[in-house]
Amino acid sequence: MAMAALRREGRRFATPLLSSPIRSSLISHSQEQAPNGVRSISTQVVRNRMKSVKNIQKITKAMKMVAASKLRAIQTRAENSRGLWQPFTALLGDSPSVNVKKSVIVTVSSDKGLCGGINSTSVKISRILHKLSSGPEKETKYVILGEKAKAQLIRDSKDDISLSITELQKNPLNYSQVSVLADDILKNVEFDALRIVFNKFHSVVQFMPTVSTVLSPEIVEREAEAGGKLGELDSYEIEGAETKGEVLQNLAEFQFSCILFNGVLENACSEQGARMSAMDSSSRNAGDMLDRLTLTYNRTRQASITTELIEIISGASALEG
Amino acid sequence: MTLNLCVLTPNRIVWDSEVKEIILSTNSGQIGVLPNHAPIATAVDIGILRIRLNDQWVTMALMGGFARIGNNKITILVNDAEKSSDIDPEEAQQTLEIAEANLSKAEGKRQLIEANLSLRRARTRVEAINMLSQ
Repeated sequence: MAMAALRREGRRFATPLLSSPIRSSLISHSQEQAPNGVRSISTQVVRNRMKSVKNIQKITKAMKMVAASKLRAIQTRAENSRGLWQPFTALLGDSPSVNVKKSVIVTVSSDKGLCGGINSTSVKISRILHKLSSGPEKETKYVILGEKAKAQLIRDSKDDISLSITELQKNPLNYSQVSVLADDILKNVEFDALRIVFNKFHSVVQFMPTVSTVLSPEIVEREAEAGGKLGELDSYEIEGAETKGEVLQNLAEFQFSCILFNGVLENACSEQGARMSAMDSSSRNAGDMLDRLTLTYNRTRQASITTELIEIISGASALEG
Repeated sequence: MTLNLCVLTPNRIVWDSEVKEIILSTNSGQIGVLPNHAPIATAVDIGILRIRLNDQWVTMALMGGFARIGNNKITILVNDAEKSSDIDPEEAQQTLEIAEANLSKAEGKRQLIEANLSLRRARTRVEAINMLSQ
């Protein structure tokens, strides 16, 4: 009884079914299907794609959560270290536009990728600084911290790189490690002014590229005579060593290691924040792709079912009459 | 008319409040700072910092750094600082003994200098605790 009813239904549907809906769906999936005439192949293809997109979404979601937890851990330390360089700026002032012969640009970047555009912005700013401070009798060198900036800068400024250090974050960052690093840099590189380029962490979605300047003691003396903020340095009586020059030297070294420590911490924070937002947009994108693929999958599935039904029904109707 | 004291290390702010007087040990000896001191910028040696708040002295062990004394505002930046109340006496004594043993074992100029520094640091910590108990 049911079969007879189905056959009757089938005869009624046989002709209209062969019209436009199927043809359009067949045409729209012609790229995904194999040669025309073969029935249901693309459900497997679409299902594979859906599985891989879903896996990618899971991975990016997990990476976002890992980045969020790392960010929380390192954010408090970065904020604590901010108080360190403020007295230096209060005492010595910040003079980014000082005119020096030998400047060294210290670029802080990350080792791992997938963190948005922060490394590219740091490299861009470093290149701009390099151009600004090059000229007759002026010389600029790079010191690179982190794998990503090294990869970008080694392509066109290979000769200007004097020192490059990678794998900073293997052990959790601490001040003694950074001060040893600062010592290394000071020993190996001659400089009049050091400019440290890093991404300062303002909030989870905002990272501003910043440049901090550290002057060598001789330049501090020169600028102190010129007046301005550094001129007030003379109003302080210097105690603690034999000569004022020695104290200034120690001060400059200490200032460099403090600022470098703060810069490295802030950059690590920015890296985790940028990675969080990059992974978040990537998961959302994967979700969108998954929705579209699901629609495609359902359409293909229904098309193949309809084709089968048509064949059965037309076969049955051919048998009958 | 009180001094404002700020002791900062790279990892955290150790002290930030108003005090009556401090005694700081620099490379050229100990200096006492009272309100309205002349402006000074000085290097701080590995030693003890004594802080007086209302007739009560607090001791802190400092591991070298810088100090700036402005108009009634003192900023001390050090590599590390520990309040004597935070130091465990037995652990400090042990560290001192280990540092002394390392010094006698040290070979080569660099190791000698490092061993000397760690010995001074350990000695400062022990002194901080002893001073507290006095």
